[in-house]
Amino acid sequence: MIIAERKPFREIQDMVAPYGNVLIAGCGTCVAVCLAGGEKEVGLLAAQLKLARNLAGQTGRLGEITVERQCDREFIEPLREVATDYEAVISTACGAGVQFLAALLQDKPVFPALNTTFIGVNEAAGHYTERCRSCHQCYLGITGGICPVTMCTKGLLNGPCGGPIGGKCEVDPARDCAWCQIYERLESQGRLQQIEAILPLHPHSRTTSPGTVIHPAYLRRYAAHE
Amino acid sequence: MSKLEDALSAGGFPLVVEVKPPKGVEVAKMLAPVTGLNGQVTAFGVPDNEHAKMRLSALAAARLVKEAGGEPLMLLTCRDRNRLALESDLLGAAALGVENILVLSGDYVHQGDHPDAKPVYDADSVQLLMVARELMAGRDSAGHALSGAPRFFLGAVVIPEAQPLGPQRLKFRKKLEAGADFFVTAPIFDLEKYRAFRKEAVPEGVKILACLKVPSADEVEKAARGELRKVYSLPPAVIQELSGGDPEEVLAKGAAVAGRLARKLREEKLADGIYLKAKGRPDLAAAFLKAAGF
Repeated sequence: MIIAERKPFREIQDMVAPYGNVLIAGCGTCVAVCLAGGEKEVGLLAAQLKLARNLAGQTGRLGEITVERQCDREFIEPLREVATDYEAVISTACGAGVQFLAALLQDKPVFPALNTTFIGVNEAAGHYTERCRSCHQCYLGITGGICPVTMCTKGLLNGPCGGPIGGKCEVDPARDCAWCQIYERLESQGRLQQIEAILPLHPHSRTTSPGTVIHPAYLRRYAAHE
Repeated sequence: MSKLEDALSAGGFPLVVEVKPPKGVEVAKMLAPVTGLNGQVTAFGVPDNEHAKMRLSALAAARLVKEAGGEPLMLLTCRDRNRLALESDLLGAAALGVENILVLSGDYVHQGDHPDAKPVYDADSVQLLMVARELMAGRDSAGHALSGAPRFFLGAVVIPEAQPLGPQRLKFRKKLEAGADFFVTAPIFDLEKYRAFRKEAVPEGVKILACLKVPSADEVEKAARGELRKVYSLPPAVIQELSGGDPEEVLAKGAAVAGRLARKLREEKLADGIYLKAKGRPDLAAAFLKAAGF
């Protein structure tokens, strides 16, 4: 899932300072799971903002609404109507959701409440770690299910750099060297030969942003847009 | 053919002394070892933003070394350039008469003085060796023909004390396959560990420049406290020998220890040459030479 962190409160407060009525729009999927932008976090932000604005003598109404997903048109469409009562919107979605909402509400300022950090996993309650850089070329089949693009700080494709010490990364001694882990896992599975061949330069042309994926079953439908 | 290649292939036990490109444009100090030691040194290693700290470009410094009468060995890291920049710098090096190239991944930006810089690593060191080989064959990495192919003598790095050794040996094999002509080791202080590595992991005929380093007092103190977090180690006897005295005395003792190690490496045929890191100081390199008996 997408992992995000809430921005410092002061930054959010400053962004919406010029506006009276502000709608805080939450997202009920990834950012709700990582406790950054779901319904509960929208409530917390609203309470915090209300208190700060009262102290600053600022008037205006703060609205709260959380939709299932802000990255899905059918879920955000109702916000068009809701937002008419507000001068500005704070979105607690990831960067994708904020942009989708901003595109929907063309004439209204939409501000992000989160910094989107990575695609990762839920290690434990409140503990999230990165796993994927969405590089368009998955090497996991070769590298024993450990991503060298993401888990190696340098994203090296042909083995470790010269830096690991005792199997730990040169950048962060608390972190395992991804290539040491890849080697160990493949060795334990008797698959070391898979990483003997030199991997060529990564095809970065595929990662030119913004990316588009069209499911094969929908190629005919969207052909006109290509 | 470069002097370094010539010496390595002829079994001449070359000495490469590292110079230090300045953080600025005052180059006289950087070139002091070149003017002072040229007769005794085969080539001069030119680091590329070493430890991810921004300094004068290795390409410009390599050319300056050449103009001062020395033969450069230019280091080229994957950290700061995408493949276009790597390739154009390689062509630039060839055009400026820089033939010896040492490729390396490069320390991560967090370890240097521009921690917010974007780390590149578009190629890794294995791929960069292949790219350089392609250039030598008259093609760039995208397959386009070159007008005039460069000639390089290509080196790569190997870590004798890597733990675990398996992944490092994998990389070593790939570097060999990718066309490395020679290798430079991480600094060696522990002859026993290096001897084991050489015996176990280095195929016959692979040319190794053993890196010897004159450590600072700070580094020695860290090693004494067990806080030296490096890919090489200082054995207790070396720590004891280097400890004590003011920083200059530690450096002088370090140069003597490095010289002694160089002599043993040469006598026992454990290396094919030396890559000396002596803070870019000609006096320390001279002390090393004296101790080594070169």
